[in-house]
Amino acid sequence: MNGYLVFAAKEAKEILRTWRIWVLPAIVLFFSVSGPFLARYTPQIVGAVAGAQLGHLTLPPATYLDSYSGWIKNLSQITLFAIIIIYGGIVSSEVSNGTALLVLTKPLSRVAFVAVKVAVNSAFVAVLLGVGTLVTWAITAAIFGKAPSGPLWSGALVWLVLAIFYLALMTLLSVAIGSAAGAAGAGIGAFALLSVAGIWKPLSNYSPAGLAGHAATLAADTATSSVFWPVLTSLAGSVVLAGIAALAFRRKEL
Amino acid sequence: MTAAIATTALTKRYGDRLALDSMDLAVEEGSIFGFLGANGAGKTTTLRLLTGMARPTAGSVRVLGQDVASEGNPVRAEIGFLPDVPAFYDWMTADEFLRFAGRLFTMKGSLLRARIDMLLDLAGLRGTTARIGEYSRGMKQRLGIAQALINAPRLLLLDEPTSALDPMGRRDVLDMVASLRGRTTVFFSTHILGDVERVCDTVAILDHGRIVAGGPIDELKNKYGKQKVVIQVTDDADGLAEDIRKRAWATSVTRGPQGSFEVAVTDVDAARREIPAMVASRKTGLVLMEAGEMDLEEVFVELIEGAKA
Repeated sequence: MNGYLVFAAKEAKEILRTWRIWVLPAIVLFFSVSGPFLARYTPQIVGAVAGAQLGHLTLPPATYLDSYSGWIKNLSQITLFAIIIIYGGIVSSEVSNGTALLVLTKPLSRVAFVAVKVAVNSAFVAVLLGVGTLVTWAITAAIFGKAPSGPLWSGALVWLVLAIFYLALMTLLSVAIGSAAGAAGAGIGAFALLSVAGIWKPLSNYSPAGLAGHAATLAADTATSSVFWPVLTSLAGSVVLAGIAALAFRRKEL
Repeated sequence: MTAAIATTALTKRYGDRLALDSMDLAVEEGSIFGFLGANGAGKTTTLRLLTGMARPTAGSVRVLGQDVASEGNPVRAEIGFLPDVPAFYDWMTADEFLRFAGRLFTMKGSLLRARIDMLLDLAGLRGTTARIGEYSRGMKQRLGIAQALINAPRLLLLDEPTSALDPMGRRDVLDMVASLRGRTTVFFSTHILGDVERVCDTVAILDHGRIVAGGPIDELKNKYGKQKVVIQVTDDADGLAEDIRKRAWATSVTRGPQGSFEVAVTDVDAARREIPAMVASRKTGLVLMEAGEMDLEEVFVELIEGAKA
């Protein structure tokens, strides 16, 4: 257990003292601040851009639910994309630059090496999500005068499950593929496949493929089906992916 | 005495390439063992197998009496390892990295602080507040040695520890390795023969994944090292060399510059007696005649070239 804690402390410090503290937080903060404003003024912007082309059509005024939906949409697309790219080298970068060799010849197991990376970075994403959602919530309340917490936080929590699933997937890909760019490419491929698979109802209702859609409907307060199964299978999938990553890394020659 | 390292028919193959070929190796506990070989001979592969970072294709490897692959952390807790090119977390300072390494060995408190201070002194990095990313290669190498010693290991595995160091740094590292004699087993992998001659008790010479010779250095020199005679004459060096080559005691003659040549001999006394007469019969002047033993470098070259032939 000592090795887990020591390595976790190192991972946390690495986040705080390298580029990692800037990139993902900047993306999350940008969308958490700009999202509510964009939602509030989208009808006016569309009206101004379209001009007479809209004819007699009038866009409904924006509500806090538009702000919530925008936040979840940005998380499910751009932020998830950033996670895939950033974590393509979560394991392989340490292997290729030689730090893994120095650390793993000390009393730290390879399972601990992988498990700690998944756990600490999942916690980091959770903290970012919490802060970003809080900012969105506060700005939405300030702009719209009304911001019930339920839809926003339930949507955000479901997205967190999806983010952890992708983090576990990227860990496995980073173990399996030596190059960070290669793993990121494979991750983007998996993202595209899951997005397409989410269209098919049975997969959407019972697998991680449906999580992004469920998070969006929860945030928009239009959810019609339960998120229990996709959340359960995603969490189980995350554990399985991280487990396979740890086992594969244990067999890998450095 | 217990073997700190014992390999039996250790073989490692990467695809079609045979990196280690049925290597039998025994390193006695407490010794400073020189593991000599040219680049690509299989030294780093051996160290990867010894640290459990790679698995043997065949054969077995035991470190401190344990199977490093299956025992994992308990055996690693007693090892210190310096890779050929040590890589660190660039954002850390030397002090932070040593603290991180020490804590992985469950060290803490004043014991860890004292150990870090001692090793920073040893590495000449005390008071350096720069991040490791700003270090020169030599500084990184010295920090690498310090981190390998953080746990006061029973077995210290060093892969080319002096290759990136300037002469002063090299001397310091060799002094440090020599100071560990009797307290820690040191497995010193290198291609620098002078380093081995200076600090090691025992040596194994590796060539193309095979041990071609091994044993205490003096024994090795006695067994493989031939005696030699260096001669320099004023004229007709080629003719004299040809005469000498025909003698039974001369095993090889190597021409040098300015009328000099080196003769590897089996009977140095016979050479001493006969060469002056041969010089006189050629009516040339003898500038120099010096008899001596081959050093480890010459033994190494002879063995490697012998293995190629």
